[in-house]
Amino acid sequence: MDQHPGQGGSAETAGIRPQTATPGATTSGALGAPLYLAWQLTNECNFACLHCIEESGPGRAFKDEMTDQQVFATLRQAIDLDVPYISLSGGEPMVHPRFFDLVAYASERGAQLKIETNGQYLTKDACQRLKQLEVKSVQVSMDGASRETFNKMRVRGDFDAVVQGIRNLVEAGVPLEINYSPTKFNTHEIGRAIDLAYELGAQNFYTGRTMYTGNAVKTWHMLVPSNDQYMHCFNTLHLKRIEYAGRMRVHFHEMGLLQEMRERLENPAALLVVLPNGLVKLINALPFVCGDLRTDSLAQVWANFQNAWQDPRVAEFVAALEQDPAKTAELHHWIYV
Amino acid sequence: MKLAKYVKFRQEKFGGVLFETRSEKVYALNPTAAAVVREIQAGTPEDAIPARLKADFDADEAAQIDREAAAFADQLREQGLVVEE
Repeated sequence: MDQHPGQGGSAETAGIRPQTATPGATTSGALGAPLYLAWQLTNECNFACLHCIEESGPGRAFKDEMTDQQVFATLRQAIDLDVPYISLSGGEPMVHPRFFDLVAYASERGAQLKIETNGQYLTKDACQRLKQLEVKSVQVSMDGASRETFNKMRVRGDFDAVVQGIRNLVEAGVPLEINYSPTKFNTHEIGRAIDLAYELGAQNFYTGRTMYTGNAVKTWHMLVPSNDQYMHCFNTLHLKRIEYAGRMRVHFHEMGLLQEMRERLENPAALLVVLPNGLVKLINALPFVCGDLRTDSLAQVWANFQNAWQDPRVAEFVAALEQDPAKTAELHHWIYV
Repeated sequence: MKLAKYVKFRQEKFGGVLFETRSEKVYALNPTAAAVVREIQAGTPEDAIPARLKADFDADEAAQIDREAAAFADQLREQGLVVEE
């Protein structure tokens, strides 16, 4: 029995006569399907966050987003292939007109769902519905422990409304996760943000380094923490991880994007990133596209995915990142492999 | 004994995978381990699993089934991947 986190990580051996099963070694047919779909339902969003990787915002839906028929057809394929875990994000997934229909369709057929939302639409009714549909968890972005920092980052967002949404979620009994993006104006609050997440009832707290891509390319000067700020941030995270051990998991990726990419090249996660228009990326932090779910079956895309990681352009791009980290600004210039 | 709520099992050519979706951890199973999990899913009592498996494995392997199935069940419990009914 080998263990590796769904989004990459080291393996440990246990169990009887273990065999490794990493997607990078699946040309011999190890995994028959992805284990995880990270699905960006729409690029439309009610917020216009300074750091948004996807450049989402009001009126930013792709012109060629999948039709309802295509969306449900993809979901049906995922269920038929027994993909155990699907996350729905965006943009803001809850603005998708069929959001609850999709959640119901997947949940009733046994898929475990995680919803990644900005939290603005977590009304009491919505939260009760999510509870009834037995979503595995809802991850809310909360980049700060105060109205001042949150509202600065989450343009058009409202800290108080999001905190109320989180309370509604917990009151309804839906497992809560918090995501936090560090910036130069919120790293001083990281400790308080973790404390607040715990007080609100979070089971997991996620953070890492803010990426130079999407909206962040234009706002980098306002966002990028100094090395000292990052050091303080990660020191606090180490301490908080210990403090909350057994009560709330504090997850963070201290390594930079480049190191993560190198690891992914060796051991890609069994994860497909589905864009709102059905294009499928190898990983969000790379520009490579390995299929189109409007025209290709999910099984075909999975086969392409496994081969695409071996394409020399992928390794070349990662190598080029070493020379020029700013190449992450090109992640939306899709390259078909 | 049954799989915990947040644990999904999928049959694979090499055996199977268990996916613990709360922690997003994946456990790759060899054919024997996958067979144990299938029996758990089918509701087979834990003490009856070795006998069920022996029928599907050759004599050399069968000699180890009792010990390995019990050890594997303990590991599943330790990892929180199964719960008692």
